[in-house]
Amino acid sequence: MGDFNIFHHMPWSSTYSIYFFTIGISAALFFMSTLSWYREEFKTLRSSAFYLSFVLLAVSGLLLIGDLSKPARFLNIMNPAYLNFTSPLAWGGLNLLSFGAVSVAYFFMMRKNDEGLSRKLAVLGSLLALGLPIYTGFDLTVHQNRPVWNTPLMPILFVALSLVSGAAVASFLAGTNEKLLVMLRRFMLWSAGAVAAMLISLLGTTAYGGTGQELTFMFMTSGALGGIFIGVGILLGTAAPILLLLAPFGRQQGGVMLAALLLLVGGMALRYSILVGGQIVQTYF
Amino acid sequence: MSELRLSSIETRGVPGKRRYAMVIDLRRCIGCDGCMTACKAEFDVPVGVFRTWVPYKVVGIYPNVRKHFMPRLCNHCDDPPCVRACPVGATYKVEDGGFVLQHYDRCIGCKACMASCPYNARFMLPKSRTYTDITSVVDKCTFCHHRVTQGLAPACVVTCIGRARIFGDLNDPASEVARLVSTLPTQVLRPEEGTKPHVFYIGLDRNNSEFGRAVYNPLDVLEQDRQAFNKNHQG
Repeated sequence: MGDFNIFHHMPWSSTYSIYFFTIGISAALFFMSTLSWYREEFKTLRSSAFYLSFVLLAVSGLLLIGDLSKPARFLNIMNPAYLNFTSPLAWGGLNLLSFGAVSVAYFFMMRKNDEGLSRKLAVLGSLLALGLPIYTGFDLTVHQNRPVWNTPLMPILFVALSLVSGAAVASFLAGTNEKLLVMLRRFMLWSAGAVAAMLISLLGTTAYGGTGQELTFMFMTSGALGGIFIGVGILLGTAAPILLLLAPFGRQQGGVMLAALLLLVGGMALRYSILVGGQIVQTYF
Repeated sequence: MSELRLSSIETRGVPGKRRYAMVIDLRRCIGCDGCMTACKAEFDVPVGVFRTWVPYKVVGIYPNVRKHFMPRLCNHCDDPPCVRACPVGATYKVEDGGFVLQHYDRCIGCKACMASCPYNARFMLPKSRTYTDITSVVDKCTFCHHRVTQGLAPACVVTCIGRARIFGDLNDPASEVARLVSTLPTQVLRPEEGTKPHVFYIGLDRNNSEFGRAVYNPLDVLEQDRQAFNKNHQG
C-alpha cells in the first residue's frame, strides 16, 4: 500500500547483527585454537584464542538473552517438552549450549595438560563452532518472505564471514610471530575472496528478483544503508583489504593488521546491512 | 485441493475437520475502522498495536479519486511459517478449525515469528498494560477463537456495518464463505509465499496490495508520520 495509517517495526534489531559478529569470531577463534594441536604455526594461539573465544561466547549469550522480551524465559529453549525442531533457533540454542559445555570441558583438560582429551574436545568443539555461523545463516534463510535472506548462500556466507573475522582478530593476538601471520594472511585472503564472490552473487540475485527483492536491492545500494553495505561492507571492508593483502605491504605485519582492522569493520557492516536490508521493505507492507 | 496440499499440517478440504476462513468484500468496505475498534475492545489491544487494521491507498487523478481500503489481519495460514519458526512451540495451529494461536506463557520474545510472517500480522505487546497482565510477548489476531468456539462470529465480523467481512467454515460446502470462494473470483495476499492464507479478498487489486515503488521514495509527509509513530511506539 502506498498510503498508511499503521506502520510496522523491524522484528530483529541491530543487536542481532552484533551477536552474529561476536559469535562468528568466537567460533573461528575456537577453530584456531584447535588448529594449534595439528599445525605448529598456531601453537602460540592455543590459549589466547580459546580464552577470547570463551569471553565472546559469554558476551554473545548475554546479547541473545538480553534481546528477548522475556529474558528469564530463555530456559524454555532447554525444555524438551517445548522444543520445536522445525525452528533453526531451537537447533541454534542447543548448538550454543553444547559449544559452551565443550568449551568449559576443553578449558579444564588444557589446564590438566591432558593432551589426548584436549585434542578430542578441540575437534568436537570445532564441529560445534562450525554449526554456529551455519545456524545463524539458517535463521535468516528460512524466512521465505524476506529478500536477501532467503538464499542458500546465507549459511555459507556466514561461515566465510566467521572465518575472515576470526582470522582478523587472531592476527592481533599473533604479535610478531611471522609464520603464524603468513597463515592468517592466507586465511583472510581466501575467506575474504569467498565473501566477495558470494556478495556479487547475492547482489545479482537480489537485483533481478521480484518486486520485494528489487526494492531491497535499491535500499541496500543507495542512501544510508547503501553507504554501510556498499561503502563500508564491500569496498572498504572486503575489496580494499583483499587488495592490501595482495600488495607487497600486505605481507608485512603492519599491512596484515591494517587489513585485519578493515575486515573487522567490513564484517560488522555486512552483517548489519544484510540483517536490516532483509526487513526494511516489509515495514511498508 | 488435495493436489496442492504439501504438508500434513494443512486442513483445508480434509474430511471431518473444520477450516475457518474469512472473506473480505472490498467493494463493501467503507473504511469506517469499526472492525479495528471492535477488536480493540474485545481484546484490550494496547495503543499503538493492532490485531486488525485498515490501510488505504488513494488512487486515480483529481477530481476522479477514491480511497481503496484493504482490511488486514492474521491470515491463519494453512501452512503457517510462524508455527515452524517458533523455537519453543509457543505458536501452534489448532487442527480442528485451523486457528493459529499463541501460548503466551511459553513465548520467550525472540520475534522469530514476527520475522517469518509475510503479512506483518504479529506485534510485541508493551511492557505494561492497564487491565491485562499479558505483557512483553508476541500477540496477533486469533480469529476470535473464544467466540467462535461458543458459536459466535468474530467481533470484527459482527460489527462490520457494510457486511464486508464474512466468516465461516470453508470445509462446509453449505457455508457462505465456501459459496463465495467457490463462485466469485477471490484473491489472497502474497500467494507466492506458499503460506496458503485463509483470508480471501473480493475485489482486490494487486497494484494496491503489492510493494510499490512508492515505498522506495515515500512522500515526505509519510516519512514524518512514520518517524512520529516509531518515536512513540518503540519496543
